[in-house]
Amino acid sequence: MNLHSIGISHHTATLDVRERMWLSDDEIKATLPRLKEQQHFAECVLVSTCNRTELYGVAAGEKVDEAALKRFLIDAKSAAPSVSEEHFVSAHAGGAITHLFRVAAGVESMVIGDVQILGQIKDGFNLAKESGTMGPVMNRLMQATLHVGKRVRTETSICEGAVSVSYAAVELASKIFADLAKKSVLLIGAGETGELTLRHLVGKGIGQVRVANRTRERAEALVAAMGGTVIDYEEIVDALRSVDIVVTSVTSPSYIVQPDEVQKVMKQRSNNPLFIIDIGLPRNVNPAAGKIENVFLYDIDALSTIVDRNLDRRRGEMPKVTRIIREELISFLRWQNSLEVGPTIQEFRESLEAIRSQEVMTNVNRFKPEDRELLELVTRRIVNKILHGPTTVLKQGAETGAHTEDAVNRVKALRELFGISRNGGAGHEE
Amino acid sequence: MNLRPAVLLLLVLVPVLYAGLTTVYGLLFFGDFPRLARIKTPALLVTVTFHCVYLIVRTIAFDHPPITSVFEIMTVLAASIAIGYTYIELRTRESATGFFILSLALAFQTASSLFIRDRFDIPVYLHSIILGFHVSAALLGYTAISLSAAYGFLYLMLYHEIKSSRFGLIYNRLPNLEMLETMSHRAEVFGFVALGVAIIIGVIWLPRVFHDFSYWDPKLVGTLVIWCLYALALGAKRRLGWQGRKTMIITLVAFCFVFLSMTVINLSLSGFHSFH
Repeated sequence: MNLHSIGISHHTATLDVRERMWLSDDEIKATLPRLKEQQHFAECVLVSTCNRTELYGVAAGEKVDEAALKRFLIDAKSAAPSVSEEHFVSAHAGGAITHLFRVAAGVESMVIGDVQILGQIKDGFNLAKESGTMGPVMNRLMQATLHVGKRVRTETSICEGAVSVSYAAVELASKIFADLAKKSVLLIGAGETGELTLRHLVGKGIGQVRVANRTRERAEALVAAMGGTVIDYEEIVDALRSVDIVVTSVTSPSYIVQPDEVQKVMKQRSNNPLFIIDIGLPRNVNPAAGKIENVFLYDIDALSTIVDRNLDRRRGEMPKVTRIIREELISFLRWQNSLEVGPTIQEFRESLEAIRSQEVMTNVNRFKPEDRELLELVTRRIVNKILHGPTTVLKQGAETGAHTEDAVNRVKALRELFGISRNGGAGHEE
Repeated sequence: MNLRPAVLLLLVLVPVLYAGLTTVYGLLFFGDFPRLARIKTPALLVTVTFHCVYLIVRTIAFDHPPITSVFEIMTVLAASIAIGYTYIELRTRESATGFFILSLALAFQTASSLFIRDRFDIPVYLHSIILGFHVSAALLGYTAISLSAAYGFLYLMLYHEIKSSRFGLIYNRLPNLEMLETMSHRAEVFGFVALGVAIIIGVIWLPRVFHDFSYWDPKLVGTLVIWCLYALALGAKRRLGWQGRKTMIITLVAFCFVFLSMTVINLSLSGFHSFH
């Protein structure tokens, strides 16, 4: 199979390099047809995200000049000398397909099980469709890739569980409360992680948002972007009476909330559960407050525990993902093989027939006229007997799908050994 | 038609089905078996159906509903717990609690199958429809209280796990605290009302049927005490705004009291209210 992949990713290149190689949708649409025009690929797809820029294609000829391709990509972005050929990795045939499947499954992502990548791959295929560089192989590959992504998401839990501190806080909130739409949150301090946590909570449909910050303008700006109300920084303890979730991330040398204040507030709020996420460093809430009944207090260490545990669980799903990828690879190769076996057998037969008829023609005069018919018969029989073994083996491989990779290699080997070109016809000596 | 062989077959089959069902739910809770997930609800429905068939066949075979002895009551209790859980699972799509609740049904059904006796000679008054209402209400009440306790137990396990930042299996699999608390509370309210109905029917109807009726009957007094306990617990939740862990502990303590008192009363009772 003449399928190739070539590209850079976070495994091989720093962010600087990846940024230089990142292609916008318009750039992809401009680049793909050129790859086809310059006879690199008959079909090709480009996937470009912040973590990878990768090209997948079916070679137009027998071989792909990888060095030329790398130079083409670097030149397309005018990225030399910051980006060099060493930043690229390539694979072909089963290796290229496996790589694409692994990317789609999220196991090649920076954070294992990243769910965004499948959508980005789908976009890549759609851009190729718009650019006219899709073909039968790439279409089939797209279906198979999306199927891998879907299966991995439904049959494994590699995408489950929060893998960032801010999202872990939201996950924890949904283990305490049934319906976040009926709950309210108070954000104390408008720092980056606090803001991100609030963003996740808003994304999950939290009912009400209140923000308190030492600099009121900053709180107002945040509220303008995300909705909610601003309260005075001095009113935060009072506000604890009526909110369900508190996210605090201010820089303060001492605790801004003390256990006795929380104890008092809990009575006032009829002991309704209070979930406090303290991501301040040093901590903003006295840890003793976490001992109070129905108060769930977590600091950055506790949330990191959730993240680590979830990452471990995701890694534990790898054997299942590998099995799915293997099954889908076999299924794809089987299809690919069935496409190639028929023409290969036909071309192999034509190749041997050409040799036979040429040799018969050359030597026919050495035989008596009455033997010539017999000569034709015997030589045909020899050719048929030679053909019988390889044809049977190739057909069996295509029909049963067993040892698909072996079958693909057999087709390849036969073509190489007998000089059968991809465009048909025999390459035997004249 | 002789239904005794069918009764005997179902007597063995039903607890075996519960054991299989509980194993499936247990494997799903503690392990990772995606294929089992597809068969769990059908398996639940099959088990509940067989159990209902068993109750019907038993009623026909012995010419009375299975409510005349402790172990007959236990199989009905197991069925009503399973039916209650089926309703919850189909309605909420929440099946993580199945293992714990179905274990309860398995325990009741196993005890029933092991010790149940075949009886025909039951008094005429046990065929009464009013008795049917009385017993049904009491059974619904105790089923609901059992479910409430099961959810309360799960609440406490999850509460402890979240509080101690352990985030293990319980954390991963169980629904959220608020949902467990709501389920427990609703079941408790339902149980409280149903027990109230059973007590009212009993107090009005029993003196008319039994000559040796006494308001000091231990089962009546026991049920009244339990009912008052739940009234207090529900009142405390409403009036004092108790929430979460404390109320769940009260629910569990009340359930332990129900279990112990009912066992002691039923095993030692010999008056009109005893089973036959």
